[in-house]
Amino acid sequence: MAKRILLGEIGRRDVLRAGLIGLGGGITGFGAGSVNEAAASTPTGVGSRVLVVVELSGANDGLNTIVPYTDDAYYRARPKLGLRPEKLRKLDDQFAVQSGMAGFERLFKDGKLAIVHGVGYDNPSFSHFTSMAYWQTGAPNSGDPYGWLGRLADALDPSGGDNFIVDVETRQSLAVRARAHVPLTFFQPDHFKRDATYEEKAALDQIGNRRTARNGAETFLFDVAASAQRAETHVREACAAYRTPVDYGLVRFGLERVAALIAAGFPTRIYYVSYPHNAFDTHVNQADNHARLLTYTSDHIAAFLADMARIGRGRDVSLMVFSEFGRRVAENANLGTDHGTAGPSFIAGQLVRGGHYGTMPSLTDLDDGNMRFTMDFRRVYATMAATWMGCQDTAPVLKGDWAPLPVFEG
Amino acid sequence: MTDGWEQDLSSIGPSDWTPERARHLLDRAGFGGPPEQIARLAAMSPEAAVASFVDFKAIDDSNLPAFEHSNIYDPSLTPFPPTRPAATRLAAETGAAMGVAAKPAGPRRLQPVADRFFFWIRASMLETRRVGNWWADRMVATNRPLQEKLALFWHGHFACSEEKVRDYRKMLAQILLFQQHGAGNFRTLLSAVARDPAMLVYLDAGQNLKGHPNENFGRELMELFTMGVGHYTEQDVREAARAFTGWSNKDLTLHIDDAQHDFGDKTVLGHTGPFDGQEVLDIILAQPATTNFIAAKLYRFLVRDDLSPQFQDRLGDLLRSSNYEITPFLRTVFLSRDFYSSASVGTHIKGPVELIVSTYRRLGLGATPGMPDFNSASTELGQTLLNPPTVAGWSQGRAWITPGSLLARGNFARAMLLPDVIAFTDPNLGPYPSQLRAFSARIRAGEDIATASKIADGADAADAQRSTMATANLLSAHEEFNTRYASLKGWEEAVRRVRPTLRRAAQFSLTTLVLEGGARSTTEAVDSLVARFLSVPLDSETHDAAVTFLEAELGTTDLDRAKTYLEEPLRLTAHLIMSTPQYQLA
Repeated sequence: MAKRILLGEIGRRDVLRAGLIGLGGGITGFGAGSVNEAAASTPTGVGSRVLVVVELSGANDGLNTIVPYTDDAYYRARPKLGLRPEKLRKLDDQFAVQSGMAGFERLFKDGKLAIVHGVGYDNPSFSHFTSMAYWQTGAPNSGDPYGWLGRLADALDPSGGDNFIVDVETRQSLAVRARAHVPLTFFQPDHFKRDATYEEKAALDQIGNRRTARNGAETFLFDVAASAQRAETHVREACAAYRTPVDYGLVRFGLERVAALIAAGFPTRIYYVSYPHNAFDTHVNQADNHARLLTYTSDHIAAFLADMARIGRGRDVSLMVFSEFGRRVAENANLGTDHGTAGPSFIAGQLVRGGHYGTMPSLTDLDDGNMRFTMDFRRVYATMAATWMGCQDTAPVLKGDWAPLPVFEG
Repeated sequence: MTDGWEQDLSSIGPSDWTPERARHLLDRAGFGGPPEQIARLAAMSPEAAVASFVDFKAIDDSNLPAFEHSNIYDPSLTPFPPTRPAATRLAAETGAAMGVAAKPAGPRRLQPVADRFFFWIRASMLETRRVGNWWADRMVATNRPLQEKLALFWHGHFACSEEKVRDYRKMLAQILLFQQHGAGNFRTLLSAVARDPAMLVYLDAGQNLKGHPNENFGRELMELFTMGVGHYTEQDVREAARAFTGWSNKDLTLHIDDAQHDFGDKTVLGHTGPFDGQEVLDIILAQPATTNFIAAKLYRFLVRDDLSPQFQDRLGDLLRSSNYEITPFLRTVFLSRDFYSSASVGTHIKGPVELIVSTYRRLGLGATPGMPDFNSASTELGQTLLNPPTVAGWSQGRAWITPGSLLARGNFARAMLLPDVIAFTDPNLGPYPSQLRAFSARIRAGEDIATASKIADGADAADAQRSTMATANLLSAHEEFNTRYASLKGWEEAVRRVRPTLRRAAQFSLTTLVLEGGARSTTEAVDSLVARFLSVPLDSETHDAAVTFLEAELGTTDLDRAKTYLEEPLRLTAHLIMSTPQYQLA
């Protein structure tokens, strides 16, 4: 029990230093169950930690995700879309989540969910593609060819070791594009397979061998072919063999596949998962649709973390959730919301010191109808890269010096 | 590797013209072709060869059939309600929706209305697959390949998706527009697209109203369709949106509602006036950023990814000098030294549709075979015609390739060469989730709707992830209708009425192609297949592995002794060659 109190106290003090908002009951220590679990498993080194990044594409409406239900300005700006207090799950005396987000509520109350408020960047772009590229490269306006996770992988393992990055998507994200690494990208594991008859196999197997390329495109293709050859059987078998009693929710957008690979002992340290197809772009009639999206997201993420705890990897895995920007404060004329600026990001996991970080932007002091961001997104990245993943020098990764948040013990 | 031709837009000379360069032209200005077509082009002058692509209007296209509509649409479906709740609400309030009346009494009064809603969603989706297949058939059969190549480019540029538009007729009309204007003047094309019903629906024109401008079209117009990021401000986007207020569609035509149009002054890109949409398009078209952007994007699609800023400006100058006419721009490009330089040749990673179509054209097929299914095959490789992932279209080049998609490309080759006829099912007969199958079986076995729904709900929740619609169904329950039943009835009627697609394996003989090409030995057979299917050389290791494999299959190196059983071993060898990284390049 002593440990529980200690963690709770440290968490509270650091969070206060970091610019705490919501002074009420939002910060709690680890729940008893999680402490027992944490105490039972041996802490592992930073060098074996895993980072899972979840992208919510389409610009999630942060105001209707972490709802400032005591702020009249919220209801004034959203007479129709504003969520009434009685329909919400209250986190504390200032913020609440949508009723379908029982998973996030549980994580928060167990002290495993850090909510970072007002995350954005200066001179925001209102274009999905541009802003997503800014987030994915971690370098606004740079046109950088590599993603921030690609650069992180290059920094942590310059040799480009096998399957350091896994991207569970139909198309590879810019976020994971690396100089030294070929990210393992797949979506449906049972399709991640070369169909061939027995006789062909020997001849087909040599296709993944390295050879001399004639140009950059060929070099790229040879690299990917080699990666496919090495990973093919492992991914399929790991996913097919994985059994879990945990319910990953109605829309399993990839974390159950991440769990399968982690359980199978993949050497991967960075996983990238996306809720795809610009799903969160809720311009029109957003209420029901957004509620569903958040329910699926919350269920899926909470299930994943529960599953990690179940297989004894809870202390090795942390998860970060972001969206390319938020929505405007005021609802639009179509019962939806238009492209905005800042929004909340989330960091969740066994070793996370849950609570609120940063400052919730004002809903009245607006920049042309939009919230003014209070936290640069690269500070969230720095937290994951430096404190969690143990990257010694994040300046090349994040193109500058960004102070981590005290979400993890140093 | 440098040949000094990079960034040189001057024309190649007659002595530069080789079969390899003819093949390159055929790959890029079209979708590739069999060796005899390469030989025909190589025998022409470069100017004549290029003209045979760019001056396509002179070429007969009467061999290409128009799309044959299924009997699924009638005018009562317009306007189509935006959501199922909107449809049933309309019927509850007015007594009818989509030409179907609510029952005056009894249980599930709104069931026929809900059925009707799902019928059209399913029917339009299935018919869109037929439109995709029809278009792919044109790409395979046409004698004007550049026309279809450019239509494919514009489809990715002005990307609209049937998933949102929910009307195959609008999607078809948009593709016809790209075929008609794709090689003409960009000014004409842009003006037509801004009035195109699929685009109007896709970017929420109906919600862009005086006093409540919706910026969706205004933003994508500047960012994705014309100038690109960095050449306009947020203020320009908002002002442009005002100029398009009141523009929407009445079924298949543009409709401008003066009452919803903002006639006030707007300031766009430094110009101020009471602009309407066309005037804003004209202001944007006058920007050098637009010419530069369009010229570079075309060049990246047709020639190569890597362009220096200086070269982009020169391409922009070229398009400006032709006053946005695409054909003279492309004539210069296809004759240029840069186009035939080592920076361009053999460096293009084919997109999924391009890969599939070029494979069929290289085999000399007259259409896509019904087996494998075209749409399923291209979707597996990451591209579904008429359903681009976002308004930004498809990222080209390396973005197509992941370890998974590279394996899938080899699997496509196998499905084409050696289709799994035993396991094949027709996807146009409904990609039913398993819970729908379970529900249907229970209804047919005589269970009541409520019981059958409950059991089916538990059947396989994993299926729900396949579409938002399916999950929406799971979550909505309403006493006046049963959504699951409506979904089932919708499927049934849609599949009953949508025209069938002929399902037959591709008809070709590699034996004939290889032997008539003069091959006598296993090595020559492999060379012949490589020449047919690849645009770049095969490395010696894979080449030798293919020869060894073929020889083991035949029991001899002498094709003449094996000619009666050559076909299957040749197809397996072709599969091996088409599983290589080199198969992706043109």
